[in-house]
Amino acid sequence: MNIIERITKSDKNYSNTTSNLQKISLDKLRTNPIPSSKNEIWKQTNKSKFSRFLNFKFSNDFYYPHIPGHYQINNICRIIIGENKRIKIKQKNWEIKELEEKEILNFLKQKIIQSDTTQNWSNLLNHFLTDRKNILGLNITGKEIPYLEIICNSVNDFFSSKTLIINIEEGTSVGISQINIGDKNSALSISSYLNIGEDSVVNHGIISFGKNKSHIINSLNVSQYKNSEYNLGSLQFEYDFGRLEININQVEGNAKTNIKGMQITNNNEQISTYANIEFNGPNGFLDQLNKSLANDKSHSVFEGLIIVPQIAQKTDASQLSRNLLLSNYAKIDTKPQLEIVADDVRCMHGATISQLNEDEVFYMRSRGLTLEEASKLQLRSYYQEVISFLPISKERWDLLTLLLKNK
Amino acid sequence: MESKKEIKQPLLEISNLFASTENLTILKGVNIKINSGEIHAIMGRNGCGKSTLSKIIAGHPSYEITNGKIELCGTDIEPLEPEERAQSGIFLGFQYPIEIPGVSNLEFLRVATNARRKFLKKSELDTFEFEDLVKEKLDIVKMDSAFLSRSINQGFSGGEKKRNEILQMALLEPKIAILDETDSGLDIDALRIVASGIKKIANENSGIILITHYQRLLDEIKPDFVHVMADGKIIKTGDNTLALELEKNGYDWTDEFINKN
Repeated sequence: MNIIERITKSDKNYSNTTSNLQKISLDKLRTNPIPSSKNEIWKQTNKSKFSRFLNFKFSNDFYYPHIPGHYQINNICRIIIGENKRIKIKQKNWEIKELEEKEILNFLKQKIIQSDTTQNWSNLLNHFLTDRKNILGLNITGKEIPYLEIICNSVNDFFSSKTLIINIEEGTSVGISQINIGDKNSALSISSYLNIGEDSVVNHGIISFGKNKSHIINSLNVSQYKNSEYNLGSLQFEYDFGRLEININQVEGNAKTNIKGMQITNNNEQISTYANIEFNGPNGFLDQLNKSLANDKSHSVFEGLIIVPQIAQKTDASQLSRNLLLSNYAKIDTKPQLEIVADDVRCMHGATISQLNEDEVFYMRSRGLTLEEASKLQLRSYYQEVISFLPISKERWDLLTLLLKNK
Repeated sequence: MESKKEIKQPLLEISNLFASTENLTILKGVNIKINSGEIHAIMGRNGCGKSTLSKIIAGHPSYEITNGKIELCGTDIEPLEPEERAQSGIFLGFQYPIEIPGVSNLEFLRVATNARRKFLKKSELDTFEFEDLVKEKLDIVKMDSAFLSRSINQGFSGGEKKRNEILQMALLEPKIAILDETDSGLDIDALRIVASGIKKIANENSGIILITHYQRLLDEIKPDFVHVMADGKIIKTGDNTLALELEKNGYDWTDEFINKN
């Protein structure tokens, strides 16, 4: 049974194994089984690719993924969602432990109830499909915490679904790499929730890389409290259909958010990033840069929205989209937007689409570099800004080197 | 440059060169021959074709040779890509060196130097070997090694950009260096540093073409030949005194010459 059949058709056997959370999600989903293409955040979605995403058979089974780069590394705490290992590590200055069952259920129930069937469709789908063993809930507290590497993977020929909830307690400082691995011909739904307590600093990296005909929707939902700092670096590539939804809520304002994202598309892939940043208090700060590289006949999409209500005075927000077209047949759609009610704010947004700079290429060729070497150097310089922002420990640079070797 | 009396080898020979861009003919029959050990200056008004000539020699893809040929050591270079020309020993010092944000100057110089060394069948230099070499060459143009860790030409002053060009010339050891208005935008001290660098690099096995409007560079570097270019061709050739004459009389006579011919 594919995903749409699961949503639309009643199935007694299935219902017997469904948790309450899944049932509430399903009830909501049934009111809007597929997002309307008239909706702004689904308008650019490639219909046939989205259909293929929903056409996979679902599987809850866990398969150990192939993790590129060094396997055993000191100073990194690696967790694979679905592996079902008990997690409780306590050291002098820090602690990582699993959330209590009740905490997870209450948190997700509240999120599902609050979810809008169009704006939060991806989360509803995720919560309908994800069973308990594919939900990872963590509570992190302390400082000098080793890098946390969280792996989410899909399985060949199937649709997999994972949920990640991380509660970062007050005054904590942590680096988290979320690595999404798409197997060939597969689909993956991930909903990640980060609750960042007061005075905390979180450096978060999302590296999503697929293989032949991988599909992914990753919805990231971040709540930031006073004086917290959230730094997100994201990199998406080699997905036939990829979609990253970033929802950040500065719950009380007075927080700092820095985002640098990059998506690389080749062949006829479509990769999109949708960012929704909401300031619900004064003195909020945002610096967002999204870059894309579109080659062949691919399609890259960025849509951003900064929401600054009356309460969010003295907000300082910037959202830029920079895009590089590498082929005459590739397509880029970009739309950074502002929705401002407060009157004492500084907000800017902008977008550029350009091609490889011919003067730069000729300059390098006139020094003996081949066209390929010159283009590679130029492209490397283009994405260096984002790559260097990814919070990845130096022991894991081999991962990025491997992944970007042929880019 | 003391061994000029030895037998000179023809390095670059341009014969009856016509070239155009976007259906506009810019070069209309350029002839010039540069032998080893020679320094030539090409002077002329803005728009006379000097910079176009330099770009065509370097292989800029926007220009098309419609007639004539360019030979480097007897080999027609028209079929060669810009990088093949550079590897063969042609160097173009840009009038406006390009800024490339994010690309490390050091890495760029190393890749470029190794491309030339590979062509010369010399061993390629690893990072440490290259750093030793580049530090030695930095002295020629009095550059601080801090420039190496920056992006190519990004945030460089006009003088620093030109010095970076001469540093590249020193590393690549070209057979023919074409320096397009290397003196433009330089104050007198920077001009002296750049000129001194060029003189240190010049040798009996290579040739240099200086493209300039002014005498002041030629006060520092004495050319063996001065060519005056107008309307896409060389209309007069002489020795260093021709440059002094131009400084004194200007270029108006070139209009009359073109109209008459």
